[in-house]
Amino acid sequence: MSRLNTDTVSAIVILAASGVFFWATFDIEKMDYRSLGAEVWPRVVLILLFALTFAYLFQSLKQGPDKKSEGGGVIGWIGRYQNALWCYGLFAAFLLTLDYLGMLIGGVLFVFLTLTALGERTLRALALHAAVSIISVGFMWSVFTYGIKVILPQGEIFSAW
Amino acid sequence: MMWENFTEALYTVFQLKTLLLMFLGTGAGLIAGAIPGFTIAMAVILTLPFTFSMPPLQGLATMIGVFVGGLSGGLMSGILTGIPGTPSSIATTFDGFTMARAGKPGLALGLGVWSSFFGGLISAVALVLLAPLLADLGLEFGPWDYFSLVLFALTITASLAGENMLKGLIAGAVGLLVRTIGEDDINGIARLNFGMDSLEAGFQFLPVLIGLFAFGQLLSDVKDRVRARQPLMKDTGKAVKVEHLQAIKTIFRSWVNLLRSSFIGIFVGVLPAAGGSISNILAYDQAKKASKTPEKFGTGTPDGIIAPESANNATAGGALMILMALGIPGDVVAAVMLGALLIHDVVPSPSFITDNAELAYGIFIAFFIAHPMMIMLQAVCLRGFLLVTRVPMYTLAAVILAYCAIGVFALENSTHDLWTVLIFGVVGYAMRVLKFPIAPMILGVVLGNMAELNLARAYATASDMTMFVSWFVLRPWSAFFLLLGAFSIGFPWYQKAYGKKKWTLAYIPLMAIALALPMFFMQGTVRTIVAAALLVWAAYALWKRHSGGWKLEVADDRFAEMKE
Repeated sequence: MSRLNTDTVSAIVILAASGVFFWATFDIEKMDYRSLGAEVWPRVVLILLFALTFAYLFQSLKQGPDKKSEGGGVIGWIGRYQNALWCYGLFAAFLLTLDYLGMLIGGVLFVFLTLTALGERTLRALALHAAVSIISVGFMWSVFTYGIKVILPQGEIFSAW
Repeated sequence: MMWENFTEALYTVFQLKTLLLMFLGTGAGLIAGAIPGFTIAMAVILTLPFTFSMPPLQGLATMIGVFVGGLSGGLMSGILTGIPGTPSSIATTFDGFTMARAGKPGLALGLGVWSSFFGGLISAVALVLLAPLLADLGLEFGPWDYFSLVLFALTITASLAGENMLKGLIAGAVGLLVRTIGEDDINGIARLNFGMDSLEAGFQFLPVLIGLFAFGQLLSDVKDRVRARQPLMKDTGKAVKVEHLQAIKTIFRSWVNLLRSSFIGIFVGVLPAAGGSISNILAYDQAKKASKTPEKFGTGTPDGIIAPESANNATAGGALMILMALGIPGDVVAAVMLGALLIHDVVPSPSFITDNAELAYGIFIAFFIAHPMMIMLQAVCLRGFLLVTRVPMYTLAAVILAYCAIGVFALENSTHDLWTVLIFGVVGYAMRVLKFPIAPMILGVVLGNMAELNLARAYATASDMTMFVSWFVLRPWSAFFLLLGAFSIGFPWYQKAYGKKKWTLAYIPLMAIALALPMFFMQGTVRTIVAAALLVWAAYALWKRHSGGWKLEVADDRFAEMKE
């Protein structure tokens, strides 16, 4: 494992994913008439991807292990990417609760929680985050709802009112 | 008919609502351009949802305003603080910031603003004159030629990723693969959906783009916890009075530099995926080489501001030219424009200018008038724009993510698109962390359909398999693009070995010879003359280098600057 570097791991992941996609091309329906089959182009792209990724894999194996390891194991990794993880987690939560909270309440909560997760957590900062989230999402929601006439998800809570 | 279309377009663009929207767009572009880490492409992507409900020309005019504003916004922060707002203004800081620190911030800003203006106008003229000619050329293209053109676009994009070319090519192939998911456009057959109903329609282009570009970029900007909480720029400069008259006089005295840099910008814009970030450095480098006082570059010389700023704005015209004439986006911003056109069921192709003349003329006019708007806004609201850079990045990131969600939902009223943004947001961020370039993947997603459609058309047109395969090299345009693609693959090695290995001395002349050969088989006498000229030049260059004993020239710093 110590021989592996980040590029090698990336190459292996791409190769594995390409393998899954190539396998899936055999499930594509064949046509009887003379036309370029729906499976041809994806296979051409996947063969190209295989060739390029193999070259990338060999190139990465020649490099040897990563020179500087940031260390810290899983906890160190989480620490390094915590801001991104917060954003993804909160965005996923926002999408999962969209049917219940709707775009307005969900959006305000998402912005408030993201600001609080990424920024400071003093009382003054929390008040500022609340104001920023209500004003910004409220403004955008109004522009899209009343200006552009887009029907944004209302959410069960909002419709109950 | 032409005059009628022109007046119709003029009428639409000069409607109060359109002008107001363009004004807002230009202002938004100036603000976005002034914020380091906030690219022009991101600003144009974020404008897109607002334009869904607008008529096509109104929407595009607004986006052009953002584009032009963004190109010029980067210079304000670059000159006043030394931190360029966008990669398109990197070279501007070399002399702009130095001049500002030497006590002439007003002149530095004036030179920047007016060079942007004149560069933009020159490229607007080129756009009007050359786009129809290029479109006429495009009418000669058959499916083989188009397929090879897409291949060339992908290889040159990957090669511009420098040392990461292999990663760039992989990213381009992944982009092509992403586009194959869902129903096949030619036969309507479901593919690669892994039994999931939600994937039957595939991934919409814009949510993929927003995920890859905006989501991924924002998270990269807030990666560092401490920096994310600090204002983007603490010192945004004191009140500065822009010296307009002095700047215009100085620019007119350097008209050769202005013209040369603008043409470099247009040329770079025409190349697929090569944007203002490259043209500003190339133009600076050429201005320095051509100058009688190259030692003054970097010390606050006006030519060092005129060259990059006129070039980066001229790039926009080049990018729009290739988009309107051939349907190939010149850079990521043009790719978003292409998305905007497709939303309105307008497909750019060689017949675009004749079929959608009103829209085409409207784009020309909007591009033209966005420049005076930019000048007016910069003159009046300079300090206001810079105030935005005092906002901490994490605040901008959270608000923009919410805005992305609302905007993407508005596209098709579908939560599937929001999940697409999240998935490709993860992919985009991972690519940035692993140092995979994003632009080739975006181009792959944008051009994937075009490649497949033309491959299918070529297959259907060919009488047998031999003809289908051989015409890729036997048709002059196809051979021309394939050769260009092959040489663009070799370009990173050329860059690396330039000044060190003897083979680099023969690389460009050999490329000229290779490209001249298919040109001899093209229609018309002009191309034959150009081909002959290329051959003569290549032969002369090879003879000169041979008689000089293949002596290596000292490598200059142009590629080092480009890599930075």
